[in-house]
Amino acid sequence: MLNVLILGVGQCGNRILDAINKEAFGGGGAANLAKYYLRPKFPSRVETLAINTAINDLKELRFTTAKDRLHVPNLHGVGANRNVGKQAFMDNRDVIMGEIEKRGDFDIAFVITSTSGGTGSSFTPLLINELKRQYKDITVVTVAVLPAREEGSIYLQNAAFCMRELMEVEAEGIILADNQYMKRFSGDIASAYDKINNMIAKRLLFLIESLDSEMLSVTDLGDFKTVMNGGLRIGTMGFYQADSKNLSIRDAIENSLKPVNLLYPANVGDDAARAMIIIQGSREHLDVDEITKEVERLTASAGHVFKGIVVKKGNPKVLSVFTVASAPELESIYAQAARGMQDEKEKRCRARKQLDDAFAHIEDLEEIY
Amino acid sequence: MQRPIYLPCLVYLLFSILLMQAAHAKEATDNSDEVTFKDYTLNIGDRIDLGDYQMELIEIQSVRDGLVVMRTSKVGGSLDEQRALLLDSPNNFDGGAENKGITITVADIFDEQSAKVRIEYSQSLGSPRKHASERPALALDKPELFVQKSFERNQMSVGDAVKVTITVKNTGTGQALAIKAEDIPPLPEFTYVAGYPPKIKETIDPGQSDSAVYVMNAVKEGSIRVPAMMVSYTDVKKNAKSNSSEPFNILISPKSKADLAIKLASSGPLALDGESMLNISISNLGTASASRIEVDGTVVPSEGLQVTGLEKSFFEIMPGAEVNYSASLRGQKAGNYIIHLKVNYDGGDGSVIREGTGEVVVLEREYKYQYLLLIIPIAIIIAWMYRRYREYKY
Repeated sequence: MLNVLILGVGQCGNRILDAINKEAFGGGGAANLAKYYLRPKFPSRVETLAINTAINDLKELRFTTAKDRLHVPNLHGVGANRNVGKQAFMDNRDVIMGEIEKRGDFDIAFVITSTSGGTGSSFTPLLINELKRQYKDITVVTVAVLPAREEGSIYLQNAAFCMRELMEVEAEGIILADNQYMKRFSGDIASAYDKINNMIAKRLLFLIESLDSEMLSVTDLGDFKTVMNGGLRIGTMGFYQADSKNLSIRDAIENSLKPVNLLYPANVGDDAARAMIIIQGSREHLDVDEITKEVERLTASAGHVFKGIVVKKGNPKVLSVFTVASAPELESIYAQAARGMQDEKEKRCRARKQLDDAFAHIEDLEEIY
Repeated sequence: MQRPIYLPCLVYLLFSILLMQAAHAKEATDNSDEVTFKDYTLNIGDRIDLGDYQMELIEIQSVRDGLVVMRTSKVGGSLDEQRALLLDSPNNFDGGAENKGITITVADIFDEQSAKVRIEYSQSLGSPRKHASERPALALDKPELFVQKSFERNQMSVGDAVKVTITVKNTGTGQALAIKAEDIPPLPEFTYVAGYPPKIKETIDPGQSDSAVYVMNAVKEGSIRVPAMMVSYTDVKKNAKSNSSEPFNILISPKSKADLAIKLASSGPLALDGESMLNISISNLGTASASRIEVDGTVVPSEGLQVTGLEKSFFEIMPGAEVNYSASLRGQKAGNYIIHLKVNYDGGDGSVIREGTGEVVVLEREYKYQYLLLIIPIAIIIAWMYRRYREYKY
């Protein structure tokens, strides 16, 4: 059995973690009541911990137990200031690591964070370093959420610097989710974020379940690490569940890789470095020949594709995890962030100059009372 | 010399005395021929002497007819007559008192031994003197019947047979003849079974007795005055007499019957699947024995209450007696059950049926702490949910 640690850092990370806990109660509206009489049902031994400097963000969580919420005392958040956040982490590192240590030993850790916020973007790189230092054999995968582009220059700036730091740490890889990309699937912003959180939560739990299941065709944690180490060590996930109108397993695999079903905009055919396809469904729907053919077709473009088949009653579900060799969308983010930073710098210079000019009017004068 | 005065007084006194003596002598001479009378009570044998006359009571011949026999004689033998004198009829001897003879009248006859006699006579005959007889009084042949009518018992019930005894005893000295016992009229409260009318011997010697017995059945309740029974008879002189028994009261109660009362007493409500006893008592409140008692019972509704030992039979229950027995109960289904008990018996007047009922309640299964089944889980759930709420409360 896998020992899994899921850390939600910052407001975004907390909410995705809460969504994971909600899914562990069965998801949907029933989870609201189920949490009072059921234990969360994780496929493996899963420990969760929500970390935040803003206590109000922690209070908003509904499916995460109080003992799994860690408030790092730093007034009321770090105000999107990564420097303040880093200092807060360093000041409370022992508390944070002690809290994690209480939960035992782990095979894999998922650190879920927004790259644009204050706490998450500043804590996560440092936290990964500490995890790697403290747990020698642990596999750390970051689930990083990119901000919507219109959220503001500071968030873009934070995302840019956070991503750079995440790339520098010794984590096994980053699974990207892009709010900008995904929020188009929902009408209003609030429900879009909820859907995004639930989407990420379902895929992560599916992945954990698959890594810890007896498979017809085996994929395990080592395969997952190999996939995540491919390309830029940046990847994403796609998911598709076939409906009764079309139970074709080939179509399901194809659909799981379509952009509309991905967390981050990527072209699998052009960008994928390595991939893992995990297929789950009733035995009558799992035609191994067709699966093999489809995986072979995918291998032709993605390099190497691991496939795992889990026999479980239901319509076919396909989770695709792949890393990319190129990330053009990231480049655009960095460009946009740079522009924003430049604009900010120029605005600040202009404002400074205006202020200096204003001060010049009273340069030779003294206060008269 | 002065003459003493006492001398003329003495002469005068003597003279007066002489005059008075002379007057008295004249008057006595004038009354010696007057008729006077005197009454005597004579027993048989008594005698009255008057001058030369002797009068003796010989016999009371008939008290009923008023005949008395007297003997009248005269010294010298000129008169010696024994005559039956009729009551209140004057009888002259020697011409009667008006003619220097005597007249005898029987004024009253007391009994067979004595009578009152009036003697009328001329005073010249002197004064009569009575001589009581020195002969012992002869025992007379006088029968006297004592009559007794008695019932075997003075209290009986309708339907009871009773024996009536008529006893006639001659307590007199003479033989009772022509005895007739008249026990009439027949009492309507009885039917006469045997021996009626009673027959008594026609002759009973002194000291002897006779009795007759007859049997009756009481047929009607009530208090009855049994009338006197009269026995008529005569003595040897054909003197008719009669005697009666004393009337008395008897009480005829209603017919004796057995009256059985049935009581059923259960020992309270019966728990489901529990066992209990039903105590049944049958008491005879009547005045007759109940016999051949058969007890049968039914339970309504017939299912749900198992009763064993309800049927029973007894040979006899005496008046005032009580028999008890128990039936075992076993509750199989909750509810109210009525146990009907039917007792068939011979109450002395044919077959009688008495019924009694009792109620037995079989309780629902009691869950003493049933509420805990609800409260405890709710409390656990609430505690659990509160605990979970606390777990998720931050």
